[in-house]
Amino acid sequence: MDAADFVNLLVSALLLAGIYAAMSVGMTIIYGVMKIVNLAHAGFLMLGAYYVLELHERLNIDPLVGSVLAFPVFLLAGMLVHWTLVKRIPVSDQPTLASLLLMFGLWLVLQNIGYLIWGSSDRSILTSRTLSSMHLGPITIPTVRVIVFIPAVCSLGLLEFVLRKTWYGRAVRALMQNRYAGRLAGIPVEKMARLTFGVGIGFAGAAGGLLAQLYSFSPDFGHGFLLRSFVIIVLGGLESFWGAAAGALVLALVETFSILVLPAGYQPAIAFSLLVLALVLLPGGIAGIFAKKHRWA
Amino acid sequence: MRAASTQMGRFLNYRVAGWGTLLIVLGILPWFGISSNLTRLLFTALVWIIASVAWNLLGGVTGQVSFGFAVFYGLGAYAAAMGINGGLHPLAAFTISGLVAALASIFIGLPTFRLRGPYFAIATIGVSEAVRVVMTNLSFTGGASGYRIAEHGRFRPLEHYYTALGFSAVAVVISAWIHESKFGLSLQAVREDEEAAADIGVNPLKAKLMVHLLAATLTGIAGGVYARYAAYIHPQGVFGFHTSVAILLMPIIGGAGTVAGPVIGGFVYGLVQEELVAAFPQFHLLLYGALLIVIILFEPRGVTGWLGRLRGFIERIWRKSATASVG
Amino acid sequence: MPPLLSVERLTKYFAGLAALKDVSFEVEEGQICGLIGPNGAGKTTLFSIIAGSVSPSSGTITYSGKDVTRWKSFQAVRAGVARTHQITRPFRSMTTRQNVEIGLHFGRGPASGSTWGEVAEILEGVGLGRVADRPAASLCVGDQKRLELARTLAAKPKLLLCDEVCSGLTETEMNEVLDLLRRIRGRGTTILYVEHNMRAIMSTCDQVVVLNFGEKLTEGPPLKIQNDPAVIEAYLGKTAAD
Repeated sequence: MDAADFVNLLVSALLLAGIYAAMSVGMTIIYGVMKIVNLAHAGFLMLGAYYVLELHERLNIDPLVGSVLAFPVFLLAGMLVHWTLVKRIPVSDQPTLASLLLMFGLWLVLQNIGYLIWGSSDRSILTSRTLSSMHLGPITIPTVRVIVFIPAVCSLGLLEFVLRKTWYGRAVRALMQNRYAGRLAGIPVEKMARLTFGVGIGFAGAAGGLLAQLYSFSPDFGHGFLLRSFVIIVLGGLESFWGAAAGALVLALVETFSILVLPAGYQPAIAFSLLVLALVLLPGGIAGIFAKKHRWA
Repeated sequence: MRAASTQMGRFLNYRVAGWGTLLIVLGILPWFGISSNLTRLLFTALVWIIASVAWNLLGGVTGQVSFGFAVFYGLGAYAAAMGINGGLHPLAAFTISGLVAALASIFIGLPTFRLRGPYFAIATIGVSEAVRVVMTNLSFTGGASGYRIAEHGRFRPLEHYYTALGFSAVAVVISAWIHESKFGLSLQAVREDEEAAADIGVNPLKAKLMVHLLAATLTGIAGGVYARYAAYIHPQGVFGFHTSVAILLMPIIGGAGTVAGPVIGGFVYGLVQEELVAAFPQFHLLLYGALLIVIILFEPRGVTGWLGRLRGFIERIWRKSATASVG
Repeated sequence: MPPLLSVERLTKYFAGLAALKDVSFEVEEGQICGLIGPNGAGKTTLFSIIAGSVSPSSGTITYSGKDVTRWKSFQAVRAGVARTHQITRPFRSMTTRQNVEIGLHFGRGPASGSTWGEVAEILEGVGLGRVADRPAASLCVGDQKRLELARTLAAKPKLLLCDEVCSGLTETEMNEVLDLLRRIRGRGTTILYVEHNMRAIMSTCDQVVVLNFGEKLTEGPPLKIQNDPAVIEAYLGKTAAD
């Protein structure tokens, strides 16, 4: 491998990391505030993809604009899901099996509604950008990757800004650290949870739209990305956005560079193995979330 | 106290009688000239029941929700397939299915049982998907194109049917025994509060590993029985995520943590799925997803819970009308 | 005769903070040894280390002449050291009887093959006979405290670690529980007893160890402790602040 190849791989890993980070951030925020492992994330990624596809095909709306338009729609959908389903299960400081299975049931429903509406064949979004590429000296980059990378990173920056500078953001961060103290400090926990769930789903929908411009998809879309999202937030310590960004980078690097040592067929196994390794080998290592609860005096 | 124990004894007898009747009915059913299609449906349901009852031991009784039972089902299927092609007697091949799955359960359980609840569940998704990818690429099992069983002699559906019936009876007996035994008590204690269980002498890791091993063995056998019947298996099928999902949904919908629940769940799933899959391929999972949501929100004991409520309701009406007639 | 339990220079850090510093003491067989101290003194940490649910940063624990510093909790129970929890942790969906049965089976074992009578006896002993077949989740606070104790007793400990069994109980209930502890000791069980309630400690213990900020302040018989100026400052000073 010469230097140009290496730089090529590095650049594509970085571009991939951006979209991975945007993809997992919705899951991170829901986990952080509500301690819910959102398996339905995959379903909303898929719906986001079809939403952007339909806008593109029917109304001729550019998929990038479509992805941005997905955010408010999915935000409302998320709040509706919270209002109808999620708030009915007991809150807990630890993730519970009930919430996990509830979200899993929702994923099954969404996925199969997808099959009923769109059938099982693979779809993709084709624009003039899809096949073009950019050349920077010896480096070749598919244009669409760059174009998708930019809104992904912008949205992360925007979220970071909201979390740092607004009342909502400070409340979210307070709840992530200590739900009980947050309630004592007068944060309306239920309202915040609903809004947060909406934001998380909003990000999932938008990220689904972005991903749809890079990969073909079917109603089972999101399955592989769901597990990748897990890897990312587990690597990132589950509750921090910077951690998730770092996790996204690690996963993207490992996946991209593994083509040098692993046969292509085994590629998908990387994320899955990394997930198990991260869960088992980093207990409490990064953020200590599944460190055993010590019994204090 | 004496009254209580005889009452308990009578209750047990009723249950044994109920299960016995079910077994006999299923046993003599094929003699009444049922269609080959119905035999196929019942066979499928029985195989699912084995896996469903097995999952319930780990997921329902012990509270460790696994999305990874396709690993055991698939390994069992491949082990039996290769054993039969190697000239083994089917029962010997099924034994190997069980052993291979049991071995895998230890390799998977040792690291993942360090994780609690949802983390364990997620880790099992990872394990299961990784195994599927590996199996899709392994050349000696035929990779993605699958593996064919070449068994000599005529295809005898009833032989398959009775094999499945026999193993599902064994699974139910094991499940009933666990629900009554001191081992079962320790599993329930682990489900309720792992640390408190350790504080009165239960070794939680050992309990979980043992029940995982037992459940894996049964699931592996189910996979083997299915493989011999199907005569052709492939990784996307037996190792597929949907297989794990089916094995998880059946007991939860039937009623996790009960003896009858997983049987009901397996029966319904086996019959409904086979019929619906032909007509509306996606409809059954939509239905099961919705059912899962309803069960999590309203009735953790699933169908058995609803049956219990129905019985309570009928008993109340009965009592009311009885007192009314006396009055 | 060597002590049943001896703790030597036990130290535990949580995230760099010392919860226990160099704590040493001994418990003689047949004693009720009280362990007191203001909130956050390290009582429950010390307890958890002895019971095997937390491992210490340094120091040793010797039980019956054997080094048991880093044992696991289920090993501790089988060797005869069992604890109760300050905040009760019943197996909620199981009946009171089943809760006790688990302790009987997985502790030092039932007396005979049939456990029915023995469980009934334990339940009657703590006054839970009337709720034996109710799910543990449905018991009131006092009964849950009793169940916590019954379940632990069923494991037949030689050394019983009692964590605040009196908190949240009425005066009458408390006296019943204290009577029960004395009866348990009367059958030869050694008890290490953490308690906030000074009167409970003073009326039951033979020996009292006082912890403050993770260190041993002093130890001695209850009367001596009661009049120790250092204890009064650490303890009553806190009470006055309340």
